[in-house]
Amino acid sequence: MPAEIAFASLPKQRVPLFVVSPRRILADVLAKGWIESTIPFLSLLFVLTGIALTTDGYFSPANLQNLAQYAADGGLVVLALLIVVAVGGIDLSVGSNFAMSAFVALYCFHILNLPVPAVLVLTLAAGGLVGTANGIVAGLLGCGALLTTLGTMITVRAFFALAAQAELVEISTSSRTDDLWDWIGFEKFLSVPIGAWCLIVVSVLVFVMFRQLRFGWHILAVGGNRKAARHGGIPVRTTIFLAYLLAGLIVGLAGFLFAARQNSISVADTGIGMEFFALTALVVGLGGFVPGKGSPVTVLIGFTTIYLLNNAMINAGFRGDFVQLCMGAIIMVILTIDVRFRKNRHRLLASTYLDPVALDAGPVEGMRGLMPSEIAPRLKGAEILASGRVDGPEDVILDAQGNLYCGNRNGCILKIAAPTYSEVSVLAKIGGRPLGLAFDREGRIVTCVAGMGLIRVTMAGDVELLTDETTRSLFSVQDDTAIHMADDLDIGPDGTIYFTDATKRYDIDNWGLDLLEGRPNGRLLSYDPKSRKTRTVCDNLVFPNGVCLTHDGKHLLVASTWSCSILIFDLAKLSEGPRVFLKGLPGYPDNINRASDGGYWVALAGMRNPLFDQVLKHPGLRRRMTRRVPPTNWLFGNLNIGGVLKIDGLGKIVDALWDASNGPLYMITSMREHEGSLFLGGVTNDKIGRLVLDGADVQWTGPASYWGRDR
Amino acid sequence: MTETVFGNLLGSREAGMLERVVLVVTFALVVLFSLFIDGFATAGNLLVILSNSTSLVMLSCGMAVVIISRGLDLSLIAQMVSGATIFSILVTNGSPAAFALLVAVAAMVLVGFVNAFLIAYVGIPAMLATLASAMCITGLFRFAILRGEFILLLPKSNPAVLFLSGNILPGVTVPVALMIATLLATWALLSYSTAGRIIYAMGDNYQAARLTGLPVRTTTVVVYVFAAVTALLAGLVTSAASGAVDFRTVSNGTLLFDVILVVVLGGIPLRGGRGGLKNILVGAALIAILRNGMTLMNFTTQMQDALRGLVLILAIVIDNYLNPRDTETDTVGDL
Repeated sequence: MPAEIAFASLPKQRVPLFVVSPRRILADVLAKGWIESTIPFLSLLFVLTGIALTTDGYFSPANLQNLAQYAADGGLVVLALLIVVAVGGIDLSVGSNFAMSAFVALYCFHILNLPVPAVLVLTLAAGGLVGTANGIVAGLLGCGALLTTLGTMITVRAFFALAAQAELVEISTSSRTDDLWDWIGFEKFLSVPIGAWCLIVVSVLVFVMFRQLRFGWHILAVGGNRKAARHGGIPVRTTIFLAYLLAGLIVGLAGFLFAARQNSISVADTGIGMEFFALTALVVGLGGFVPGKGSPVTVLIGFTTIYLLNNAMINAGFRGDFVQLCMGAIIMVILTIDVRFRKNRHRLLASTYLDPVALDAGPVEGMRGLMPSEIAPRLKGAEILASGRVDGPEDVILDAQGNLYCGNRNGCILKIAAPTYSEVSVLAKIGGRPLGLAFDREGRIVTCVAGMGLIRVTMAGDVELLTDETTRSLFSVQDDTAIHMADDLDIGPDGTIYFTDATKRYDIDNWGLDLLEGRPNGRLLSYDPKSRKTRTVCDNLVFPNGVCLTHDGKHLLVASTWSCSILIFDLAKLSEGPRVFLKGLPGYPDNINRASDGGYWVALAGMRNPLFDQVLKHPGLRRRMTRRVPPTNWLFGNLNIGGVLKIDGLGKIVDALWDASNGPLYMITSMREHEGSLFLGGVTNDKIGRLVLDGADVQWTGPASYWGRDR
Repeated sequence: MTETVFGNLLGSREAGMLERVVLVVTFALVVLFSLFIDGFATAGNLLVILSNSTSLVMLSCGMAVVIISRGLDLSLIAQMVSGATIFSILVTNGSPAAFALLVAVAAMVLVGFVNAFLIAYVGIPAMLATLASAMCITGLFRFAILRGEFILLLPKSNPAVLFLSGNILPGVTVPVALMIATLLATWALLSYSTAGRIIYAMGDNYQAARLTGLPVRTTTVVVYVFAAVTALLAGLVTSAASGAVDFRTVSNGTLLFDVILVVVLGGIPLRGGRGGLKNILVGAALIAILRNGMTLMNFTTQMQDALRGLVLILAIVIDNYLNPRDTETDTVGDL
């Protein structure tokens, strides 16, 4: 039996508590969705500071109430425009519609003497009618939104002017008063004007619509991509129609509030230029003119910015023409920034995402007499199984009967039946990229699937997701809750599954970039099947890869691939962190598995060479290289050819199996001993190798070593 | 011979149906107006129609070129008014007319270049870029030059003003001559210049034109500068005829509306890539006759606007039916 591992006497491995890098923070911030909404926030701050510095008493409660009272109808119009723009259209008729609705409200109130609720209903109907006209032509018939709404804008304004001229005198001489009417126009509830309450309620409804309601999602889908929306079964034209209708109704409400407050209209002024004002606010709020984006909060921030700016400029004695000049310039500047930013954001992100750091794996140790140049390549004599029928078996595992299981690139778990190993069948189809495999006590396969998480597969082929997220680490901009690239696992005697998330910043398609970065981006996780809880055992490890429970069941070996070392954890004292079990390996260790004699097999996915060791010590070089040189010409670790190391129970390298320079097994990422043979898999191989071992225990099997022979 | 000319005028089978419909409607309107409106079918009235529609035709030429290249210029009227303002201010202050014209042209080239820069180099959708530049231009001129006023009055006795509203040849007024010159320039640009071929290619398929290596950016500059210069000419003619530069033509939108109507009714699809001089003439004829007829029938401006709006919506619907568009490949600017 192997000797006791003296854990306390091993050198400690330093693990950073958190990784701070300005470049990484910038990259992570750029990758965030909310980055595009920063423009309205910044401009609002700018305007607020400007006003606070130049105007005394602007933010007094009385003035704020006053502002809120007059802001309501403009805010509603902006929200209406947001809905139309979100669906991929534009509505220039909002100003005319607003004026017309205000006229209808006044006409119904003063001339027809209707009760206020009826006035509201008829006003909404008038607004909705214009919306319907827009919706039919621009939505149902599919005409260009700009010209359609330009047409309704002119037509409705003409009708408004005709009607207003005819009735203006009678409206202004009417003496009707009504408590409800005046309450809507002038009163406050909880010291907030009624109009502002309407705006708040409508904003909340629009917010809920875009977040929670099917119709809101349909609007965003249609605005985002009509074709995709149609293919997804969304009634595109109906959705557009309803969006215009809804916008018309909201404008109608705005007109009603305006009428109740002002009690008058003017042919020359009411609603003139409102569409441009609303468009400016929208462009500022959305940070550009973007369909498929329903964010009433940022749009209202944009509206507040423009409204306050407008108000403050007029207060300061600037004329309307100067304000118009400013609005035009603001639209231009914001659109310019927005268009350029959108266009270049991904480039900036791509050039800042890779953030290399110096990595020194130290000299090769303990390999005297074992290097490829010094001994014969024994893998050359391996028997080749299932050649061309398995695509990338990253890990292989054998059950007690000798049947072989492996994952492949299509996301399946394959079974290769003993004893001939010629029949390949699909045990289960998972998806993702199955990597490490382990048998649990009940004889089920637990597998790490890159991009998905930890998954359990029964022998009947049933697939069950155990976990796909852990707790979020402190001080991380990027949300690292999801398990990005689950790599290898092993199962403790109590059933706890220990597994590695090799890198939080890259995935299976570009995990090689993690080598160029050389940062501690990975973590060791554990999953307890009883409590179904996932825990981060140790964060910030350098590409933690293979995991293996020691023979005594008390320690855990974890390969740290880029630092060419094997770490060891004490299961009883996990919080103490890792110590170095073995360092200075000649290659990049991948999976670690038990050997029959109390030692361990270590797969080397690739070999170190002095040049790349040097490159890893110079982060600036790697950064310049990845930015300026095409990927095909990068200096990269030699991951083409590897081998297998045999170590004893205390971490001394005792043997090495190398491949000949012309194959057949190339990169080796895993190996399992079974009844005197070693089975070898590789993540880029299309075959499995089988090497008969001299002098190995022909009774020994992996499942028996873990769970006993009498299972 | 007559038949082929008539056939050409009506357009070949492939050409737009809308154009033929509009031509028929125009003839029908002429017949109707001649029968029912006193003083419509007189030589004097025909001259009035001609001289009243010169600026409209010139603006339509600029807009047509922009639309054929799959753009849109909403700042056209603002350019027209501001160009006229520059010219008028300089002339009133005693500068020689040639110098004033040169400065105005230079300013318009600058405005057109800024539009094109925002559209082609920065990448802002044409509609938004020109909307913003229209606001900027109007705001700037009213703020800095007119000091908040809407109207700039011109001295009727100024020789430059007199020249612009007078006759150049017996029976041919300067506005009409300018209109014919603009039409000829448009014809030359669209049919006989390299830029013209690229304009059609851009309108047909902008991405294909760009990817084949055509200089789409420089051509965009040509397009918007051309539009700005036609706007300036229209502005000179209008202000000389009315003796004033009126900034309300920008804010009430009627003229811009008429220009878009001319282009759309003439059968130039808003998606660009098709159309030519013939379409401008057809569209302009209808609008000019409609305007004249409505004025003779004593329609108020509001009634005229309402009718125009309805006609435009009708035209859009028909255009959409005859030139169906694939809304699914639309980008942000293709509204």
